[in-house]
Amino acid sequence: MNDLFEEQASLLKEPHFFVLYWTAKAEEKGIKYNITNVFDDLKYIGATRTKQSAVSFVDSLYSLCFVGISGDGNRKNLYITKHGAKALEYLISNTNYKPKKSLFLEGSK
Amino acid sequence: MNIGIGGAGSKLASISSDAECAIVNVSELELSKVDAKQKILAVTHSARGQLRGSGKNPKIGKEAFTSISEKLKQLIKGNILFTSTGGGTGNGISTEILYHLSKLEEAVKLEDKTMLCLILPYLNRESYEYVENTIEFLGGPVSSAIDSGNTGNIVLFSNKLKFEGRIPEHSFNKMIADSLNSFLAIPVKGEMYKLLDGHIDFEDFDLYKSKPYFNHFTQFNWNPDQPFEEQLKANFNSLILFPERTIEAMFLIELPTADKISKFYDILDYFSVDNVTPMYGIVHNPELKEPQITVSLLYSRKPRELVEDFKKVSDQYTRNRIKKSLDQHVVLQSHKLDKMNEARRMVEENGNNAGDVLGFLKRVGKL
Repeated sequence: MNDLFEEQASLLKEPHFFVLYWTAKAEEKGIKYNITNVFDDLKYIGATRTKQSAVSFVDSLYSLCFVGISGDGNRKNLYITKHGAKALEYLISNTNYKPKKSLFLEGSK
Repeated sequence: MNIGIGGAGSKLASISSDAECAIVNVSELELSKVDAKQKILAVTHSARGQLRGSGKNPKIGKEAFTSISEKLKQLIKGNILFTSTGGGTGNGISTEILYHLSKLEEAVKLEDKTMLCLILPYLNRESYEYVENTIEFLGGPVSSAIDSGNTGNIVLFSNKLKFEGRIPEHSFNKMIADSLNSFLAIPVKGEMYKLLDGHIDFEDFDLYKSKPYFNHFTQFNWNPDQPFEEQLKANFNSLILFPERTIEAMFLIELPTADKISKFYDILDYFSVDNVTPMYGIVHNPELKEPQITVSLLYSRKPRELVEDFKKVSDQYTRNRIKKSLDQHVVLQSHKLDKMNEARRMVEENGNNAGDVLGFLKRVGKL
């Protein structure tokens, strides 16, 4: 099982790392963070220009059970799962990915 | 009468003889510092000049000359004028006096000629402005006045000995005064003591003093058995700039006894090499223990050449200043600040510490 987790985590790309990180950060701040916010932030840091790719990053994390999606009508909010937390810890320890600021969470003051 | 112009000129004029003394300044405060029978205030419109003198700015002195020009033109006739060449008042007012003399249509009478005692700055110690003012003064008004032939002897005193010998100003001025008095006393001694040979009377002396040449005078104990040339070269007056080739000369020998009178012919021989026939007098001065001689040499040196000496130092000074400023010049690297990138960097450094998030996830039990 651990081998599978490590293999799954090691395949995650930098945008996946940002989504996990920002989702955790939003939860820490008590702010709801939805897929539109993910798209805006990924676009802001230059990781993507299309909403489809933002959706696909979130989708893959959801499929791997690293993030959960909860109701709220059309606005589906993201939250980080226990597996997602471990994946984030793995990425911080084993890759060179560095967190970047979320425009939505921290503003651009 | 001695006339002192400006701070340095006034101080020197006041102690240079027992004769009456008139001093001129633009500042009452400066006038009050010196004892003199006559104090003449030249009016300047500059408040700074009125309160503190003209400092190093000859322009203030030149403007102030207008208010006293007629009085001063009369006063200088037949008298000795003392001024520094570097300062503001002395340089400024004297500049106007010399230009006035050089533009006179009629030649000045012998008895009305003014002897000039100029105090030159010491190039290596005194301020750059003094040197610059001196260059302008020697090259302009002094040069014109000499060309016109309307001045008397010009004595170029130098502050060199003062600085090198670390002599207090008053003592130094006293040395200059004593030296000048030894020259001016030549005709007095000729009258006072028993004449042994030759003769210099007051008329001869005044004629000599009225010639528009530079004057170098010195006094020393004369050894009749030693070549005169050696003695003269060893005893040049260190208060005055060294002389160039002599044009005219005068000497007075004072002997304690009437012996060895004929030895003075050696001195005449020395001068005859340059076709100079000096005026001379030999007197018996019973107060002396050793024979003493007072020699005066008149020489011509174009002020332009003098200016060259000053210019060399001035140029060197300017070069040093430029070099110093170049040495101190530092090229500052331009620093372009990209606000957006800088903000991101700051956030990355300070705000987004990944460890904080992991700490939070642990606290909430997800790790």
